[in-house]
Amino acid sequence: MSEVRTLIVDDSSVMRKIVERSLRQAGLEALVVFEAGSGIEGLDVLKTQQVDLILSDINMPAMDGLEFLRQLRAQNLAPGVPVVMITTESSEEHVKQAIQAGAQGYIRKPFTVEQVRERVLPLLKAA
Amino acid sequence: MLLNGVRQAAIATSSSNKNLERAMVSSLRESMHLVSDPRNLDTSVEEVFKLMLGLSCLRYTGPVEIGEPESVTAVVGFGGLLSGACVFRSGASAAIKIAAHMTGMEFTEVDDTVKDGIGEICNMLAGAWKSKVPDLAANCGLSIPAVITGRDYKIHVQAPEFKLHHTFEFDDTSFEVTIICDGLQ
Repeated sequence: MSEVRTLIVDDSSVMRKIVERSLRQAGLEALVVFEAGSGIEGLDVLKTQQVDLILSDINMPAMDGLEFLRQLRAQNLAPGVPVVMITTESSEEHVKQAIQAGAQGYIRKPFTVEQVRERVLPLLKAA
Repeated sequence: MLLNGVRQAAIATSSSNKNLERAMVSSLRESMHLVSDPRNLDTSVEEVFKLMLGLSCLRYTGPVEIGEPESVTAVVGFGGLLSGACVFRSGASAAIKIAAHMTGMEFTEVDDTVKDGIGEICNMLAGAWKSKVPDLAANCGLSIPAVITGRDYKIHVQAPEFKLHHTFEFDDTSFEVTIICDGLQ
């Protein structure tokens, strides 16, 4: 697969590294990663960088993942770019809220590399 | 003081619908045996450590002393239908080992990355634990983790409704996970 420019939004720097490592282990070796510690930082990155994939946590200070998604759509940033939520929140209600806000995928923490492969790679092929 | 602050944050982040909450409370009380089932905590710890660290850890039932002057405590508050907290506590050496397994990096002290990693472990433990009971998964929010490091401190909680306090071992070291429920709203 060619270069995949990916934005990872999570308030935990350790978690951002784990997500990046999992993406590489899932087969996305040619990753270019942009990191953001909150939804606000994520929006700022997208104003200056083009990306192919966005992965975002939900529970974050300053601006949570759902509001980040809503703002993303409202400001027409990264149109057509798949967004996958990676979060500890796992109820059907949370998944529904994420889908309504514009997410295409949902991965619950803790996760396996196989789950990342199954839920992220098809979205890149379809995009 | 500390737990109150974390809990308020969790309440603010929970997707609360008051009418729905009232109906769910009775349901949750009926599920109390599930909520307080100690096996849910053991399974959650095993799941998080296996999937995120590639480590097997075993519950230890004997008396435990952290045995190190410096310890690391992470707290994630529950808010919504259930209020309380998930508390992770270990000595500095266990925290460093856990962060090393998470990141693939080496640490010699409890720095910001180690604290961040332990906060995230506690976050995943809290999320995994509440996901074992469907009513909790849908109606209980989590706060952002708070991490405390230092020596010779104690965390005091006033008369919780129930408390699960388990100790686990991995790699010749140990850590404690406590679930405190101080009320159903």
